[in-house]
Amino acid sequence: MSTLSQPAPAGIPGSALSGPFPVGEYASALRDKLRSFTRVQLVGELVNLRTARARVYFELRDSGGAVSCAAWRKDWETMLARAGSVVEGVQVVVAGGCDYYPGSATSSPGFSFNVSDLRVAGEGDLLARIDRLRKVLDAEGLLARQKLLHRPPLPRTIGVITGESGKARDDVLAALARRGWAGRVIWGFAPVQDRHAAPAITRTLQDLAAVGGVDVVIVARGGGSLADLWCFCEETLCRTVALLSVPVIASVGHHTDRTLLDDVAAVSCSTPTHAAEEAVAIHCAEARARLLRDAERLGEQSRRALLIRARSLASLSRAPTDHLKRQRTRLHQQLRETRAGFRRRLESERQTGGRRALVLERKTQAAVLDCRVRRPRELQQLAMALAGHDPQRTLERGYALVQSPSGEPIATGTHARAAGEVRVRFADQTVPARIEP
Amino acid sequence: VSTEELTPGNAVPPATYEAAAARVEEIIRRLDSGEASLNETLELVKEGKTLIEFCAHELEAVGAALEELRLEELVSRLEGGPEGHTEVGA
Repeated sequence: MSTLSQPAPAGIPGSALSGPFPVGEYASALRDKLRSFTRVQLVGELVNLRTARARVYFELRDSGGAVSCAAWRKDWETMLARAGSVVEGVQVVVAGGCDYYPGSATSSPGFSFNVSDLRVAGEGDLLARIDRLRKVLDAEGLLARQKLLHRPPLPRTIGVITGESGKARDDVLAALARRGWAGRVIWGFAPVQDRHAAPAITRTLQDLAAVGGVDVVIVARGGGSLADLWCFCEETLCRTVALLSVPVIASVGHHTDRTLLDDVAAVSCSTPTHAAEEAVAIHCAEARARLLRDAERLGEQSRRALLIRARSLASLSRAPTDHLKRQRTRLHQQLRETRAGFRRRLESERQTGGRRALVLERKTQAAVLDCRVRRPRELQQLAMALAGHDPQRTLERGYALVQSPSGEPIATGTHARAAGEVRVRFADQTVPARIEP
Repeated sequence: VSTEELTPGNAVPPATYEAAAARVEEIIRRLDSGEASLNETLELVKEGKTLIEFCAHELEAVGAALEELRLEELVSRLEGGPEGHTEVGA
């Protein structure tokens, strides 16, 4: 130290005390003195346990006072291996002696009871009392009452009980903003640590319930030792919460801390942020978007349902007309086909008739010709032929015809002899004659 | 998707936002199934629109602007104390 090379400054004028001594020397002397104290065993509640890289620190407390304790980490792990787990609030017996870290120009000094051994003496008073109270409340059904309350997912008014200057307030507001929630927050600021905390929080809870319209209450506080959080295990406060008709969301300490308020509340959250998210279960912006989609789908479904049915109805209403139209078309087609067929047949008949008429005409003409020309000629020829065969003509040429008396021709002499009496016909007359036998 | 006909529930007003939102989802599933009759469709659409209006109203109520009140001032106002309230954290 540079101070060692400088002459020691003068002391306070008029003071009867010796010195001034360099503080480092005094600190070392103090350490030596404290270390010379008799090593003893102490008993008390272990709280504020925290582990550093090389050392473990905690406090030993009872109703009369407290002593800061420390142990080397490797020694602590050996102790734990023997003693089992050590939790906040547990009653322990420690063995060791006073020590003092003299510090330096750059590090703070500190007193500690240097612990070299430890034994768990049983549950600490705090934990034991909490456990007893928890059992009493449970037996009365008070741990379940809040959990039966309905928590609206979209509260309009949220009551928040927290320390006015704590970080919890900002965390709650930030979480609510992230949810897109912008309703009404009623702040119930209250001390959250000292002996006034529990009554103040109880009164604030009652006031929040009394003003009405509060849908949910958040009780938020950051982490701390069990002793710091003891106010949240206070019986009146816990009974008030249990009997409250408004759901309470507890966010006290960190996730490793468990107070009675966590047990009686409707929900227990590890951080104020989680508590706010639990209070507003719905992400408002997403809910708005979803609602818009739902509304559009609903409208679309409505239009679609009507459209489908309207088309179906239109189709059905057109069916008879379409049927008639089809039948009419069919009839028209049949009519056209019939007419065409008739025309074709008529034409055919006409052509046939024409041909027949022509034939008839020709036949008529032929018949006329036949009657007028051919037949007279043939008749004449026949007449002439007939005339050629007329016996009269033969008779006129000097021949005579022998006939029986009855007029039958006799062609042979035998027949003539047999007849005896004959008639000889000449051209001009018939003469009777007798044939000689 | 339930094939059973949904009973139109428009006679019963929605109790909560979540109940209304759940009912809307149920209605849309039923309509999407295409199994609802015309009459049922019209009833469900009518009910769905009512529920959506309800939900929208609920969202509007917590979407305008954050209002912060101090309980102590609210209590004193209710007890006939000084008028008005002080907004905090603004």
